[in-house]
Amino acid sequence: MQDDNPMNGAELPTEAMVWEALKTVIDPELGFNLVDLGLIYSVEIAERKVTVRMTLTTRGCPMHESLVWGVRRAVLGLDPVHAVDVQLVWDPPWQPSMMSPAAQERLGVLGCGC
Amino acid sequence: MSFPSAVDPATGQSRLPSMTIPLRFVLLGLLSLFTGIGLLVARPDLLATYHYNQYIIAVTHLVVLGFIGSVVMGAMYQLVPVALETRLHSERLARWHFVAHAVGVVGMVVMFWTWNLKQVGHFGSVFALGVGLFVFNLVKTLRTIPRWNVIAFAIAAALGWLSFTVLAGLYLAASKCWSFSSFNPIAAMHAHAHLGGLGVFVMLIVGIAYKLIPMFVLSDLRSVRRAGWSLGLLNTGLLGLFFTILLQSRLKPLFAVVAVAGLALYGLEIRAILRTRTRRVLDWGVRYFLTAIALLAPLSVLGLVLAWPGLPATAFTTQLENVYGFLGLFGVVALAILGMLYKIVPFLVWFHRYSGEIGRAKVPSMAEMYSERLQVAGYWTFVGGLAMTSVATALGHVLAVRGGCVLLTTSLAIFAVNMAKVLSHWIKPKVQPAVPARTLNASASPSRLALT
Repeated sequence: MQDDNPMNGAELPTEAMVWEALKTVIDPELGFNLVDLGLIYSVEIAERKVTVRMTLTTRGCPMHESLVWGVRRAVLGLDPVHAVDVQLVWDPPWQPSMMSPAAQERLGVLGCGC
Repeated sequence: MSFPSAVDPATGQSRLPSMTIPLRFVLLGLLSLFTGIGLLVARPDLLATYHYNQYIIAVTHLVVLGFIGSVVMGAMYQLVPVALETRLHSERLARWHFVAHAVGVVGMVVMFWTWNLKQVGHFGSVFALGVGLFVFNLVKTLRTIPRWNVIAFAIAAALGWLSFTVLAGLYLAASKCWSFSSFNPIAAMHAHAHLGGLGVFVMLIVGIAYKLIPMFVLSDLRSVRRAGWSLGLLNTGLLGLFFTILLQSRLKPLFAVVAVAGLALYGLEIRAILRTRTRRVLDWGVRYFLTAIALLAPLSVLGLVLAWPGLPATAFTTQLENVYGFLGLFGVVALAILGMLYKIVPFLVWFHRYSGEIGRAKVPSMAEMYSERLQVAGYWTFVGGLAMTSVATALGHVLAVRGGCVLLTTSLAIFAVNMAKVLSHWIKPKVQPAVPARTLNASASPSRLALT
């Protein structure tokens, strides 16, 4: 019997590949990707569906839907992912300590910076 | 749970109006600012001598209505829907507003310069028509917001003061034409100026800062009660100031103190927000804005001095009135606007050019859309120009006023170069591939995104 789904032959991406893809999504105001900013809490892959739990630095961010859509696009760009569930959560609340050392240094979290 | 966003979660549609609406106001504003500062370079005597003459009134209206008014109203069309989680009532009305605004401002300024007050009244009526469309559009928009807060209150108050300012201006023009007013003309002009400067522009700076500063420095409003009191005192003080200035009452200092108390509370709240911020390093757009806010302190001191009834009217004290007006318009309002434009214009261009590409391609951050070195150079040139012009104005030194205005012009030219860099992204987006080709999923299209 002929397989009519062209994606069936492709292997699912690994978690590492998803995290790497998420590094392409930047917060345009802070200038860092969401992974280095510590905004991505977890990634789960089941079949061809990926679930991403993420947060934002502030609830008053006019970019928030753009960033969520950016995460969806980045993960959907991985073959053969078919669906992405982005869960925006506020618990645990984001803290500066969740950022990578490079992001902390750039944003002045480590020093006084006043 | 809902929170401000540029996209309405219910409909998936952008809350932002077409980018050309705020942009046309911003461009008219910058053109007016360049013309205004150019006139001061050409005629520094306007600042170095007492301000009750047709030319300085023309330049003031060019700066206040042409620059500040244009940018503020254009920005409000953009920011109010986002900040208050709603959509603009009508983009069509906003476009008609721009036509009335541009015709009204240009006509008023030219007629002030030639001192044809009848025509000032006519063009002022066209401008007032535009303001009417603006206020109507914003009030209809405010009626749809899900919840009221101090920011919405500040915006509503500013709209009320704007209407009052325009009516007072039309009354002034009419009273000049038909000589029916019993008010002292200089006192009436000062009362009108305080309505616009304090009631509209400072009110908006206060309200917008309560929203934007926490967002940009990663902090929160620390005390809603303190923020509310600051607005309450500012409004009460201004109402009292208007009537006491108009009637030349000895109670003027009392209401000046009330307004300054409101600004002091505002300063305390901003300090509390900054102290608890996560983003320790402040970017230069925020520094522009915070410097403008800090200049409210010397401006308040100067205002209290000038409000004192026993102050003798000497050549020096009357020049201090010029400094007060100049510092208020250029030091506080214009500098705050330049700082916010470093946020608003990149945001607009980024949102319209790159938000559809994020996650699919490598896009620049907002800070990468302009030169920070130019931004810093522009900051120090502007601050230098402010200081030099203020001192020279106080001393009535014509040549030094020109020198200060040349510095301000240089700063604005630097700003224009940076804005051109930002706008170049709108014309030619700088997008690079982000994911290696072998991992790309060709079916990741926007239509598919909408279904997930």
